Amino acid sequence: MDGKNANPTILNASDLPTRRQVQRKKVASPLTSGLVPAYAQDPFASHKVEFSDSDESEDDSVVEPIDEQEIYDLIATIADPEHPLTLGELAVVNLQHIKVIDDPSAIISNVLVELTPTINHCSLATVIGLGVRVRLEQALPPRFRLDVRIREGTHATGEQVNKQLNDKERVASALENETLMGVVGKMLETCK
Amino acid sequence: MRLKKVTSLPPQAERVWQVAIHPTLPLIATASSDKTARIISLQTYDPLSTIEGGHKRSIRSVAWKPGLTGESVLCTGSFDATIGIWRRYEHDLDVRNSQEGDEEEEEWRFALVLDGHESEVKSVAWSAGGNFLATCSRDKTVWIWEEIDEDNFETLEVMQEHTQDVKCVAWHPEEVLLASSSYDNTIRLYREGSEDWVCCSLLEGHTATVWTIEFEKPTSPGYREEWGARLASCSDDLSIKVWTRISRSGSAAEAKKAPPSILRGESIEENWVETSTLPQVHTRAIYKVSWSSKSGRIVSCASDGRIVVYEEIASVDTEMAERDEKKPPMTGWKVVAEIEGAHGVFEVNCVQWSKRWDKDAKGENDEVIVSCGDDGVVSVWELEDA
Repeated sequence: MDGKNANPTILNASDLPTRRQVQRKKVASPLTSGLVPAYAQDPFASHKVEFSDSDESEDDSVVEPIDEQEIYDLIATIADPEHPLTLGELAVVNLQHIKVIDDPSAIISNVLVELTPTINHCSLATVIGLGVRVRLEQALPPRFRLDVRIREGTHATGEQVNKQLNDKERVASALENETLMGVVGKMLETCK
Repeated sequence: MRLKKVTSLPPQAERVWQVAIHPTLPLIATASSDKTARIISLQTYDPLSTIEGGHKRSIRSVAWKPGLTGESVLCTGSFDATIGIWRRYEHDLDVRNSQEGDEEEEEWRFALVLDGHESEVKSVAWSAGGNFLATCSRDKTVWIWEEIDEDNFETLEVMQEHTQDVKCVAWHPEEVLLASSSYDNTIRLYREGSEDWVCCSLLEGHTATVWTIEFEKPTSPGYREEWGARLASCSDDLSIKVWTRISRSGSAAEAKKAPPSILRGESIEENWVETSTLPQVHTRAIYKVSWSSKSGRIVSCASDGRIVVYEEIASVDTEMAERDEKKPPMTGWKVVAEIEGAHGVFEVNCVQWSKRWDKDAKGENDEVIVSCGDDGVVSVWELEDA
């Protein structure tokens, strides 16, 4: 597609920080079962009107705090839309550029992921950002608020991309766009 | 004071984007990403009917047409870029004597589809008298429609003033004045000129997307005839602002009685200034503000899951008032109630003040706050003394 990305820096997959993935209750992927966000298919959703951490039947991710390494493990294996490599291998996603605030005494938790596009005018920055958002929205419990941003100074129109990636309506309607979700679906095929 | 939950309805299948309160009957309409609009009773809080089949994508916005008797008309705005007009005849409902389930519910009729927008419709709003319908979209335009006869709408104007998605449209309660707010961080106001509708004012001040604007109601205690209805706005920049018009030629009360300024040979432009920034409480994008027609309080909701209620403090800006009688005073606001996790861990998309119709209503002026969120739940709240 874009010939200027012909020689990105590639990291060795075995050098990437990782640890054994915690078994997480898998919800049906909205990409295959109609475009419904994961939380709406959560069988416990109807009981979650009040925040409660005393319900033992809930997924243990509600009680166990999630950290940066887990976020990294979720998104580093996303395939880049252009190259036959993952975002981790391309250093688009980096552990040190992920920040999680998951205080068990607070109602909501926050995840900030900063992405570094391979070149500074990468036209696929928005799609990559959307892929990261979709992956995290599917995998994380609904108490997480996501901020996915292009790392400052790494992209010519980074602020414009950031505004799109973090606008709730734009993201919601992108999730209803079949063509776009087809591209994102392919990117997420490589996720473990 | 504190916010106390009156009730929560059983969750819908998907997120509820918006609630709209009927202008005269005890009814709420909801807009959901499951492509339906649902009607809920404000007397019993029971779900009454589901409107479906008209849209191919999420319904983002709903609005009841004001000024009708014997009939209800609902407008739906959808991500499928179309607008639906739905009608239902209302029986002679004596609201005080009606009992649960003893009326035959008339069916909602899908009257027509309004096409024109090129991408997702974000907001729909009827003018105060019900004569005009405004719609706005990600396509950056604001459309004004007029119903020339039953089920026959004409496009009066397509305004292309914003440089990005238009998130919300709202009409002034008394004048024929439309406001729109946008992803381009600005608010614009429009009036009917001698030939076309024109943009008469540009309000700049927010530093991020302005999600909602709403005009003050003339029945609210803070309303001043000399300044006219003020405008409240909320934004991604975590602030809520109140804007007031500076009257260029005399008071707003005089302006209402005088012939339109265009005939007096004056410019149609008007100047609005920021007269308040409410205390900052929300920590994430503020999606909605609603201005009470009874108490004058403002309620807001946000991505952070909080619902916050604010009250105006009497302004003591006497220095300003003496210096320049034509400039509206700056006013202060304080937080009177706040609740976190209003919809559990989910975002709260919309809040609206409503007259209270249920069995615990304490008189004609009692009000509740109706909220909806990503959990698919519609909740009702009352303000009580702590």
